[in-house]
Amino acid sequence: MRDQGAVLEDVRQGMIPAHIYNDDEIFALERERVFGRSWLFLAHESEIPRPGDYVVRRVVDDSFIVSRDESGVVRAMFNMCLHRGMQVCRAEMGNASHFRCPYHGWSYKNDGRLVGLPFHGEAYGGEEGFRKKGQALLPAPSLDTYNGLIFVSLDPAAPPLREYLGDFAFYLDFYTQQSPEGIELVGPQRWRVKANWKIGAENFAGDSYHTPHTHSSVVEIGLFREPKASKRKEGALYWAGRGGGTTYKLPPGTLDERLRYVGYPDEMIARMRATWSDAHLAMVGDDGFMVSAASVFPNLSLVHNWPKVENTDSDEVVPFISLRQWQPVAADETEVLSWFAVDRGAPERFKELSYKAYLMCFGSTGMFEQDDVENWVSITSTAAGSMARRLRLNSRMGLLADDKPVSPPLAHFSGPGVAHVGFGEHNQRAMLRAWADALEAPPPAVGTVDLGSGDLGGLEQGTRP
Amino acid sequence: MTAPSPRTVARCLSFGDPRHLEAHQFLVDEAALLDTQDYDTWMSLLTADVRYLMPVRVSTARGAGFDTAPGMAHFDEDHYSLSRRVARFATEHAWTEDPPSRLRHHVGNVRTFPLDHTEDEIVVESAVLLFRSRGDVREPSLISAGREDVLRRDPTRAAPSAGHWMLARRTVSVDESVLRTQNLAIFL
Repeated sequence: MRDQGAVLEDVRQGMIPAHIYNDDEIFALERERVFGRSWLFLAHESEIPRPGDYVVRRVVDDSFIVSRDESGVVRAMFNMCLHRGMQVCRAEMGNASHFRCPYHGWSYKNDGRLVGLPFHGEAYGGEEGFRKKGQALLPAPSLDTYNGLIFVSLDPAAPPLREYLGDFAFYLDFYTQQSPEGIELVGPQRWRVKANWKIGAENFAGDSYHTPHTHSSVVEIGLFREPKASKRKEGALYWAGRGGGTTYKLPPGTLDERLRYVGYPDEMIARMRATWSDAHLAMVGDDGFMVSAASVFPNLSLVHNWPKVENTDSDEVVPFISLRQWQPVAADETEVLSWFAVDRGAPERFKELSYKAYLMCFGSTGMFEQDDVENWVSITSTAAGSMARRLRLNSRMGLLADDKPVSPPLAHFSGPGVAHVGFGEHNQRAMLRAWADALEAPPPAVGTVDLGSGDLGGLEQGTRP
Repeated sequence: MTAPSPRTVARCLSFGDPRHLEAHQFLVDEAALLDTQDYDTWMSLLTADVRYLMPVRVSTARGAGFDTAPGMAHFDEDHYSLSRRVARFATEHAWTEDPPSRLRHHVGNVRTFPLDHTEDEIVVESAVLLFRSRGDVREPSLISAGREDVLRRDPTRAAPSAGHWMLARRTVSVDESVLRTQNLAIFL
């Protein structure tokens, strides 16, 4: 394997060797050092509300059953029978008290415990030959939640999720905690695109510069008024902790007026007022910034827009929230998982319209997303060749030659982290710095599990609702 | 609009029935419009109350009682949202279809079913296989789906289609859980 030191050094200067967007060696390192260590989003608790509910999700190549067991604890279990390695669950979702392996019939309770082992006595000599007691499907090495978002890490020594997220957690609240009830997450739509996973993550983290051009068509058809360049450059870009995002500058007004401007009904505004911190309320009400796209390193993105979804003469708009994951498949392929999120306590009519807004804008059919993916597929395919190894892409927007910012960070910004107004690639650089740091660090130490002896300790993990 | 009642082989119209022939011709004519991305003409074949739905399919255990993602679809459209999609393709900035994909909608397995309560609507089932090629050497994509349509006869007899049928409802049952195409900037 080549020494990637020079690549990482370039990336830290904001000069991006183009081949990192389609390079098998880089991808092998990412698999080990980014996805083998980071906290990765798997599911939201609202997707598995009842005991026995489960969804099956992946971390790169590893399949996990995310289930709620009979006592209400959320678990993520490696979907591989302890005996011969068969997937014990081959559905994507459902409700089950047990998972039974189709190969030899070993069965597991929905908390992962091995409870059925045909001919245990005759074949193994009972507990003496094979200790069934205490065996369980391998739990995800680390599991933690924030606002009901279930994350796992393959690193058993991962820091607590909240510590990993750092101040980005503040911004997650805008998307996932608009009331004490939190969100319900619907979906996902899943599709595979021939694009490198980093491109989407970088784009959502801070590429306000692409919006006026890539998405000019959605303004032309009257779907969304904000992407005009004149408006987009007034927004703030913030980076905090392990993530960052873009905002739009709202027209002058009070907090309520500004939340109404993006389409929230008064009863939802009242709940936001009662739920969010003073700093959240000040960022919208005083500073006038409303969150739009964002990414958490490495591959979870969020978006919040407010298009016009009905054929009326009024300018009435409806906001929607989407979560999406850029699940790597290969250096040149990504599976997009795109969910619709809405506050659980929102009025039914709002939920319907917000869902419609989501479908029109993002996801497999979304009119924003369609044009994004076309660009990302093209970049990825072009990045594969030898010329791409000679080209360092300039990702220094917002920086002068001496690394001083084109415009200084905002002196007053109510949210945590560092914020800049205007176009700049501050956040894309921050994402790739986190990426370079992860690639440089040696892979986390992991142990192996021998079956049939000892306690896997799996039942200690999980989270209560 | 409620879902049509379960259909049986016995209720399927004879392939020589004029209604079946009109329905079949409607689908083939429509496929030509979709292949050439003549969306203005296509929109003229949709009723004002059209519903165009393509649920997200999921793998579930046999007996689970569902095979679509609850509450989520790829398309869940009405006339207005379809009109915005079509209007977008007509702008100069719909990059995903510029250059346009080469499209071929292969339509088959057409069966037509009368409804008891009206002669002005018929139910048509079909299979569609969409071949989509973009650029020169990119892997083409295939989307296979079943469709269940409700066609309604245009009361004004103005619709430019065989028998003046219009599409009032379409449910597209796509045959993959995870789509292998870069987006659905196409219609099925």
